[in-house]
Amino acid sequence: MARGLGQYIIIRALMIIPTILILYTLVFFFLRILPGNPVMAVVGTKNIPPEQLEHLMHMAGLDKPLYVQYFDYLKGVLHGDFGVTLAFPMGKPVWDYIAQRFPATLELALWAFTVSVLLGLLTGVIGATKKGTKTDSAMRVYSIVAYTLFIPWFGMMLQYLFGIHLHWLPTSGRLDPGINLHAVTGLYVLDSIITGNWDALVSSVRHLILPALTLGIVLSGAYTRLVRNNMVDVLSQDFIRAYHARGVEDRKVMWYALKNAFIPVVTLMGLQFAILLGGAVLTETTFSWPGMGTFLVDRIDYRDYNAIQGAVIFFAFFVGIISLIVDIVYALLDPRVKY
Amino acid sequence: MRRQYATLALVFLVVFSVVASGCISGGGGGGEEQPTTIVIGVTDKVTDLDPANAYDFYTWEVLNNVMEGLVKYKPGTLEIEPALAESWEVNEDSTVWTFHLRKDLKFADGTPLTAKDVVRSIERVMTIQGDPSWLVTDFVDKVEAKDDYTVVFYLKQPTAYFLALLTTPPYFPVHPDYAPDQIQSDQTAGGAGPYKITKWVRDEELVLEANPNYYGEKPKTEKIIIKFYRDASTMRLALQNGEIDIAWRTLRPSDIDSLKKDGNFNVIEVPGGFIRYICLNTKNDPTSNVKVRQALAAAVNRPEIAQKVFMGTVEPLYSLVPNGMWSHKDVFKDKYGDGNLELAKKLLSEAGYSESNPLEIQLWYTPTHYGDTEADLAQILKEQWEKTGMIKVTIKSAEWGTYTDYARNGQMQVYLLGWYPDYLDPDDYTTPFLKTGANKWAGTGYSNPTMDDLLSQAQRLSDQNERTKLYEQVQDILAQDVPYIPLIQGKLFVVTQKNVKGVTIGPDMIFRYSTLYKE
Repeated sequence: MARGLGQYIIIRALMIIPTILILYTLVFFFLRILPGNPVMAVVGTKNIPPEQLEHLMHMAGLDKPLYVQYFDYLKGVLHGDFGVTLAFPMGKPVWDYIAQRFPATLELALWAFTVSVLLGLLTGVIGATKKGTKTDSAMRVYSIVAYTLFIPWFGMMLQYLFGIHLHWLPTSGRLDPGINLHAVTGLYVLDSIITGNWDALVSSVRHLILPALTLGIVLSGAYTRLVRNNMVDVLSQDFIRAYHARGVEDRKVMWYALKNAFIPVVTLMGLQFAILLGGAVLTETTFSWPGMGTFLVDRIDYRDYNAIQGAVIFFAFFVGIISLIVDIVYALLDPRVKY
Repeated sequence: MRRQYATLALVFLVVFSVVASGCISGGGGGGEEQPTTIVIGVTDKVTDLDPANAYDFYTWEVLNNVMEGLVKYKPGTLEIEPALAESWEVNEDSTVWTFHLRKDLKFADGTPLTAKDVVRSIERVMTIQGDPSWLVTDFVDKVEAKDDYTVVFYLKQPTAYFLALLTTPPYFPVHPDYAPDQIQSDQTAGGAGPYKITKWVRDEELVLEANPNYYGEKPKTEKIIIKFYRDASTMRLALQNGEIDIAWRTLRPSDIDSLKKDGNFNVIEVPGGFIRYICLNTKNDPTSNVKVRQALAAAVNRPEIAQKVFMGTVEPLYSLVPNGMWSHKDVFKDKYGDGNLELAKKLLSEAGYSESNPLEIQLWYTPTHYGDTEADLAQILKEQWEKTGMIKVTIKSAEWGTYTDYARNGQMQVYLLGWYPDYLDPDDYTTPFLKTGANKWAGTGYSNPTMDDLLSQAQRLSDQNERTKLYEQVQDILAQDVPYIPLIQGKLFVVTQKNVKGVTIGPDMIFRYSTLYKE
């Protein structure tokens, strides 16, 4: 059993490599098939002599043959080097950007993830326990509406309500202007606690609420349906009836039922985490959240090959690792899983 | 069960309200700020905090606030006044310029600033060869420090507008911390401007504090915080929510319009020097025919564009030299008028087109680089041209990186571009567009020996009246040959909270923060 699990983990981990390779190859060639390049994006319409253009192309390494560019970058990645940015500014290590931006995305993702799971569980359980009533229908409507909400629109509604109308919450950014926070992990809430900076803690939590709610509510719809249907299944099973017959408290019975209904939810969590990162791009743009999403959009505008390749490879690796962890947790949770 | 949910919901609401209502510090969005801090929101980015490579308008603005050159524009005017240099002289043919520095100049950290620093900084720009280096290398042969307080520039050719060039960042002395041969995009050591950088988180926040070693007048506001926004709508919300004191570059025309109507903000309008125009490929059919180009110019209706697309936030422009600059002439208005369909039809007939045999053209635009009004601009131009009944327009678009590549290679027929000046002189609005070779970037393929000769003469002369006559001729030929159709000239809008005063933006379009204050 243990060896089976070990082997399973190694195989699953190795599967990440071809995924990243395929993605990298696609991104590499798509970027280069299109006319134009990062140097042209930087130079734009400015009146620059041709020899200087050549010099810039040389500095960016874009005068090398395609296959050389392809393998050079790949070689770099294997050594943990994601290359340097090719536009606005040129020559800054892409890794520095990822290190600066990724914690912002991760923090938003974790908060949104928590919101979505909690809301999903709450609404799903309510729906299941009130099966067939108006409350159940209301929860179903909630799940459909939440699932189909357009993030930028919904985000803006929240910004208007809690920002402009009520003046309760900030509408953008991660911290109030002028608050200095010594970054340890890059997760501002955690950093404020570690450094005992309470102003920064309040400020970062307040800045997180709206984007996390926006993304969390949108993603909670999928959980609502799954939890409800699983709970309904579990609640109709014999062992639940046996609990009731023995006079076990309602609340305890619900707890046991939820534990059983939770297994498929873990799988969804893994899948949702990838979607979460996608949703983060839209959420970050709506809330001017300085994370990987806005970084990627900016870099696509500049056609910054290295930065886009680096960000995509990093994302793919991260999603791969998360889904691996989810699979392992799933395997440990559900004794029926065979490797 | 129901009671439990009700309790849960109540607890959540209470916690949410407590955190949200800002009864803890930092409420109301912007935090408890001292009156000595002003927060400015922008959607632009700072690219390189290094004048050897920075070549975009907003970065130049920041550099202008943390550095200074030998001369500068008098706030709000086109008049050049002494800055780090207190006086200067120039030889007969404008090829040798000698500047005398102020005594006891210091960088922001107290390091003395001498003529050697000026020379080191300019030679650094020449060595690094970054994007804006041509502003130095095209003009300066060599630069020398005669002693600690004297800098001499030897120019490659007579350059009447050399003082205007000196106001640009590539000529600013930088702190010795800047590496002599490498671009340092995140270097915060700055120079000798009214402010110094105390915090820099790329794309998030830039904090400037008054430079205690500045030779000139102390800034009215001790601390300026610049917040970077992803888009105009988020920045507008931040202004309305009190998170920022000033919304600066760049709100959308519709935002400006509704903030004006709102009444809770000061909306300050400043003439801007940036221009928008249509490029016409003079090498390929059908736009190689001058009659076709003239017909397209005649059918354009600028006031309609300014109102419908830009809601009055721009003004019509009838030359490449902007309104208000010496030598400007409304040549396109005089020659073609606006929406002159009769003239357009006549010219098209002469070029061999008719309603049954219409002129077919492709109009290109780029969707994001000039803001989200670009598609509307292309659409209205299509309508104006098609009103003649003798033109059929297909609209096409490409992303910026691709678009500029197409332009440079002359792959588009008719396309929209814009221009921000490098230095404030008619030369910068004419030579890069109209001089053979210098206009390669634009892809119009335009070349006219008479034009080249006039432009070269105008560069060499130092008498402004003489130069004016030459630039007027240049504009007349431009309206005749039509390699470009000028469309509009931008205005700049600064929207501030009611208590913010002292906004100063000159014709150079640089916002100098040192005059800002809160009441």
